[in-house]
Amino acid sequence: MKRDMGRTRSLWVIGLALAMVTAACTGDTTDTTEASDTTSPTGTPDTTAPDPGSDTTAPPSEGGVSNPDTFVHAADDEPTSLDPAQVEAGEGGETVILQVYDRLVEFSPDGPDLVPGLAAEVPSTDDGGISEDGTVYTFTIREGVVDHEGNPVDATDVKYSWDRALTMDLPESNVGLLADTVASTEAPDASTFVVTLNQPNAAFLNSVVTQSVASIMSEEFVEANGGVEAGTPNEFIATNPVGTGPYVFEAWNRGENMLFTVNESYWGTPANLDLRIEIVPDPDVRVLGVRAGDFDTIETDPSFVGDVEGAEGVTVFQGEFLLEPIHIGFNLNYPVEELPAEDTVSADFFYDPLIRRAFNHAFDYDAFVDGALGGFGAPTPFYLPQGVLGFSEELPVYSQDLAMAEQLFTEAGVWDEGFTVSVIAEGGNLFEIAALVLKDSLEGLNPNFTVNVLALAEAQFDEAHASDPVPYALWVKNADPFADPHAFQSEYMDPNGNWGQVHGMANGYQDPETISSMIDEASVITDPTEREAIYHELSAMFYDDPMWIIAGNEIAVMAYRDWVQGFVMNPLWPRPSLKFALFDKG
Amino acid sequence: MQIRDYVLRRMMVLPILIIGTSIIVFTLTRVGGSPIGIYLSHEMTPEEVAEIEERYGLDDPLPVQYLTWAGGMLTGDWGWSGVAAAPVRQVFPDKLGATMELSVAAAIVAVSLGIGLGTYGGARRDRLPDHFARVFSISGAAMPIFWFGILLLIVFGVGLGWAPIGRSDADLFASIAHPTGLYTVDSILAGNWRAFVDAIWHLVLPAIALGFGTTAIITRMMRSSLVETMSEEYVDAARAKGLPEKLVLRRHARRNALIPTVTVIGLSFGFLLQGTVVVEIIFRWPGLGRWMADAVLRGDQATIMAYVMFTSVLFLLVNLAVDVMYAYLDRRVVLGA
Amino acid sequence: MAVETASRVSVAPLAGGLRTRLGRFGEISREVLANPTTLVGVILIVAMIAMAAFAPLLIEPNTPDPYQMPRDWGALNEPPGTPGHILGTTQQGGDVLYGVIWGARISLRLSIIVVSVTVLIGLVVGSLAGFLGGKLDEFLMRLVDVFLSIPELIFALAIAAVLGPSFGNIILALAAVFWVKYARIIRGQVISIKQNEYVDAARVIGDSGLRIYMKDVLPNSITPVVVQATLDMGNVVLIGATLSFIGLAEAGLAEWGVLVSQGQAGISAGRWWASTFPGLMVFLWALAFNLVGDGLRDILDPRTEAKR
Repeated sequence: MKRDMGRTRSLWVIGLALAMVTAACTGDTTDTTEASDTTSPTGTPDTTAPDPGSDTTAPPSEGGVSNPDTFVHAADDEPTSLDPAQVEAGEGGETVILQVYDRLVEFSPDGPDLVPGLAAEVPSTDDGGISEDGTVYTFTIREGVVDHEGNPVDATDVKYSWDRALTMDLPESNVGLLADTVASTEAPDASTFVVTLNQPNAAFLNSVVTQSVASIMSEEFVEANGGVEAGTPNEFIATNPVGTGPYVFEAWNRGENMLFTVNESYWGTPANLDLRIEIVPDPDVRVLGVRAGDFDTIETDPSFVGDVEGAEGVTVFQGEFLLEPIHIGFNLNYPVEELPAEDTVSADFFYDPLIRRAFNHAFDYDAFVDGALGGFGAPTPFYLPQGVLGFSEELPVYSQDLAMAEQLFTEAGVWDEGFTVSVIAEGGNLFEIAALVLKDSLEGLNPNFTVNVLALAEAQFDEAHASDPVPYALWVKNADPFADPHAFQSEYMDPNGNWGQVHGMANGYQDPETISSMIDEASVITDPTEREAIYHELSAMFYDDPMWIIAGNEIAVMAYRDWVQGFVMNPLWPRPSLKFALFDKG
Repeated sequence: MQIRDYVLRRMMVLPILIIGTSIIVFTLTRVGGSPIGIYLSHEMTPEEVAEIEERYGLDDPLPVQYLTWAGGMLTGDWGWSGVAAAPVRQVFPDKLGATMELSVAAAIVAVSLGIGLGTYGGARRDRLPDHFARVFSISGAAMPIFWFGILLLIVFGVGLGWAPIGRSDADLFASIAHPTGLYTVDSILAGNWRAFVDAIWHLVLPAIALGFGTTAIITRMMRSSLVETMSEEYVDAARAKGLPEKLVLRRHARRNALIPTVTVIGLSFGFLLQGTVVVEIIFRWPGLGRWMADAVLRGDQATIMAYVMFTSVLFLLVNLAVDVMYAYLDRRVVLGA
Repeated sequence: MAVETASRVSVAPLAGGLRTRLGRFGEISREVLANPTTLVGVILIVAMIAMAAFAPLLIEPNTPDPYQMPRDWGALNEPPGTPGHILGTTQQGGDVLYGVIWGARISLRLSIIVVSVTVLIGLVVGSLAGFLGGKLDEFLMRLVDVFLSIPELIFALAIAAVLGPSFGNIILALAAVFWVKYARIIRGQVISIKQNEYVDAARVIGDSGLRIYMKDVLPNSITPVVVQATLDMGNVVLIGATLSFIGLAEAGLAEWGVLVSQGQAGISAGRWWASTFPGLMVFLWALAFNLVGDGLRDILDPRTEAKR
C-alpha cells in the first residue's frame, strides 16, 4: 500500500515539478520575438487574447520592435458581419470594411475635408460634378482598378454595389442612408457614375458617400458567391470581404483575431505592413498587451487610461471627441400601464419643460465625465457634438445646479410629492454608470425622488429600445455617429424625425413646427456659415426645451507603442478611427 | 443479469428525462427571455423587427418553434448564436475541446491529489495529517471557485508574474495541426515540445482552480472510506492471516474504498462542469463556460438552450454510467472476492 | 461549489413526543459545541449574523437605498488604509468595508428566504407524493428527476438569465433549483413511515392521517431536513454569489459576488483588495455553515458515527 500511495504521490509531485520547471523556463525568455506572444495566420480552434508573456510588466528588450512585419491592433469587440450591405453602424465590422473596401470619396486623415477615393476627383459645383440644383452628382471613376481577386472594377460595379445594398435592404444595415437620399443611379459608361437625389442634400458626400454601406465591390465577385437576394444576408460575403482597398482579407479566427496582407496592386499608396486585428474585449488585457509590446495600438477604456499612462514605450494619444455622445432620453410617449410597477409618473410627466430642465440641472456631469470617463470627455450642446459643423464652445450646455433644479421641480409641482421612475441601460458599461449617476443625482437632491436603474442584458435592452413606443420613461445609450449635423438634428431633435416620433416630442416642444422647419431649412442650404447660424439658434431653443440629458461626449483615447510611425486618427472614420495602411513601425 | 435489467431500465427512462429537460429549457427561454433581442441592432423600426423575427422563425406559434428547435438539435441545426455571430454548431467543437481539456486537467489534479491526500490522512487516523485532510476537505467544499481563481491570479499571476492568460501562445498554437482539438494531445502528436509545454503552462492555474473543490470532496471520501474499510472484519481476518500491512491495504481496503470514491468522482463531474463557467471567465479560457456566460449576459437564447441541453445530457449519461459501475462493484464485493 | 446531500437514512421512528425532542435538542447543542470544528463554525455564524443584523450601527447606511454601494466618484480605486476607507474603494468609489458588512445582510436575507421557501415547497411536494402515491407520485418524482438532471448552477444561471438581472430573480432562480432535495427527503420519510408496522398499529387504534403526519413523519424528517437546511444556508449564498459574479445581480448592489466581479478588472494592475475581501466573506460564510452542517450530520445520524 505504501508503494501504491507513494507512486500516486510521486506522480503528482513530478507533475507539479514539471509545471514549475516549465513555468520557469518560459518565464525566462527575454528574446524579444519570442517573449512577445504574437498570433499569426490561421490556427482554427479558438484562443483568447494572446499572452502578454509570463512576466506581465516587463517591456520587450531594448531596441526590439515586436512583430516588425505586422501591425497589431487590439480591438474591443468582434465584428458581426463584414458585408457593407449588412454591417451595423458603429460596430466592429466597419473597421474591416474601412481597410478592405474603398468608397468613391473618403475623409482625409487631417479632418473633415474630402479626398478622392475610387472617384478620380471630389465632385463640386464648380466643375459641374454637382449640378446647379444640387440633385445630380457625377463621379469620374479611376481607370485600371482591380479588386483583390483581380476582377476589374469600374462605374458599373459602383452602381452594382449600391443597388445590391438597396435590394438586399437588410434591417440591421445602414442602407437607409442610401434609400432615403438616392432617387436613381446610372453608369452611362465605364468611367462615369451618376447619382440623382430625391432633393438637394448638402450632406450627401459627407454622410452618405463616405459611409460603409456605399463601399464598392465587383459584380463578378458577388455573382460568383451567391449573388443578390432581397431581404437575405449573404453569408459568404459577410465572412469573406473582397474589395479594392489597401488590405487584403486573409482570415477571421473567431474570438481570436483577423488577418490581412498588403494589397500590392493597390491604386493608391500601398500599406507598409501586414495587419492583424486582435479581438480583446477585456480592457485590462489590452493594457497588458500594449505594455508588453504585443499590441501596437489599442482602444483604451477611459477608466484604464491611468494604468497605461507613463508606461515605458507607450504613448497615450488623446484624440478627438467621438461622435457618439452618451445621452438619456425623455420618453413622452410611453404607455403608462406598461411601465414597471413601481413607477409613479403620469403619462404627461415629461411634457413639461420645467421637469426636463430640472432633470438636466440635477445631473452630476462632473461625476460622469471625471469618474466614468476618467476626465476624457466634456458636456455637449444640443445636438451638435464636438467636431461637427455648428459646434461651438459658446453654445449653452447644462451643468449641475441643484438649487435651480429644486426651484424648477417646485415650480412644476412635484417637489413635495416626489416620484418614482425607472431608467433602462445596458448592464456592465458606461451606460449603466450614467444611469447610476442620474440615480445618485436625483435621489441625493430629494429623498422623495426614486430612480430605479434597470441594467438589462444587451438583448433585452435592444428589444425594448427597438420598440415603438418604448415601454420605459427613460433610457441611456449613445448616439449613432454621424458626420453631418443634419443627421443628428433629424434623428434626435426633429419632432418629425425618428426619435421625435417614437418619443412623441411634439407633445413636449413649445413650438414643434418651427423646430421642424428650421431643421429642414438647414439641410438644404449649402453655405456652411448660414447653416451654422440656424443650428446655433436651434441649440439655444433646445437648451430651454431639452429632449435629452447629454451626460457627456467621450474623447477617444488610444494608446500606442512609441515605435509606431505616422500615427493619425480621424473620428469621422468608423471606430477606432484608424487607417492602418498609413502606419509604419521602427 | 440483474445489472443488465437495471441498465436497460435506466436507459429507457433516459429519453423521457431528456425530453422533459428540453421542454423546461425551451419554456424558460420563451417565457422570460427575449430571444429576438440579441439579433436586433440599434433603433430598428417595427417593420425591420418583424423581418428579423421571420428570419429566425420567431413569429411561429410556440409549439412549432419548439418542434423546429428540438428537431434541429437532433439533426445538427443548433440555431444561430448572436454572441458568436455564427451557427452554434460551427463554434461548438472548438470551445468544447478547450473546456474538455481544462476539465480533464482539473480532474487529474483532483483525483491524484485527492486520493493521495485521503489515503495519507486516512492511514494516520486522528493524527495531525488526518486533521489537516479533514479541514482541507471541508474548506475545499465551501470554497467559492471564483474567489479561489482570483486569489491564484493575484498571488501567482500578479505577485510572481507567473500566470499567462488564455489558453496558449497563439503563435505556437497556430504552428501545429489540431486533429483532436486538445492542445496537449495535438502538440504531442505534432512532436512539438514547446507547444506542449505551452499548453501545460497555461493549464496549470485554471486546472488547480477548477479542481480544488473536487480535490476536497475526493480527499474526504477516500479518507472516510479507508477508515471505515480498515475496520471491517475481513480486513482483520486478513491481518490475522498474517498478511503484511501493506498488502492488506493494497488488496482489500483500497479496492473497497474505491467504491464510494467512484461514485464521488462521477458526482464531481457535475461540479467540474459548473465550475468551468466561472474559471473560464477569470482565466479568459475560450471554452463553453465563457461562451455561456457571455450568452447569459447578452441574452443569446440559442446558445443558452444549446449549452443547457448539452450539459444536461452529458450529466445524465455520466450519472448513469456511475450508477452502473457502482452496482457492478457493489455486487462483486457482496459476492465476495 | 460542493453540495452535500444529507444521507437518505431511514431513521427508525424515535418514540416519544415533543418534550423528548427538546431534551434531545439540548443534548445535541452540547455535542455541537464540544466539537472544535463545529464550534468554529458556530462562532463564525454568530459573528456574521451579528454583522448583518447590526450593519446600520457598524457603518453609516447609504441613502436612500442602503443596499446600494455608496458611489464616491472622487475616490476611485483607493488602496486599503486610506483614511475613511480601511479596506479600500472600488472602481466606482464604493467603500469595500461597506460592501463587506452590508453584503452580509443581503446574504442573510437571501439564505433565509430561499431556505424557508424551498423547505416549504419540498415539504408540500414530498408529502403529497409520499402520501398519495400512484400517478401523482410518479409524475412528481419524474419532475424531480428532470430538475436534478440539469446541473444546479447552470439551471439557476439559465433561470436568472431569462428573468433578467435582479436580486429578486436570483432568489427565484435558487428557490426553483433547491427545492428538489427536500421533496426527496420528505417523500422518503413518508414512504418509510407508511411501510412501518408501527404506523399500521397506530391506524388500527384510529389515529388520522394528519395525526400520523404530525406525530411521526414530521419529527423524523426534522433531522435530515435540518442538516440539509444548514448546509443550504451556506450553499445558497455560495451559488448566489456566483450568479452575481457572472453578472446577474442589479447594478451597484452592495453584494459580495457583485463586488468580486467588479474588482476583477483591476487585478492585473495590482488592485487586489476590491475582490479579495468580499470573496473571503463568501468563503467564510459557506465554510461556517458547512462546518456546522457536517457536525450536525455526524451527531444526528447514528450510522455515520462509526465513520469518525
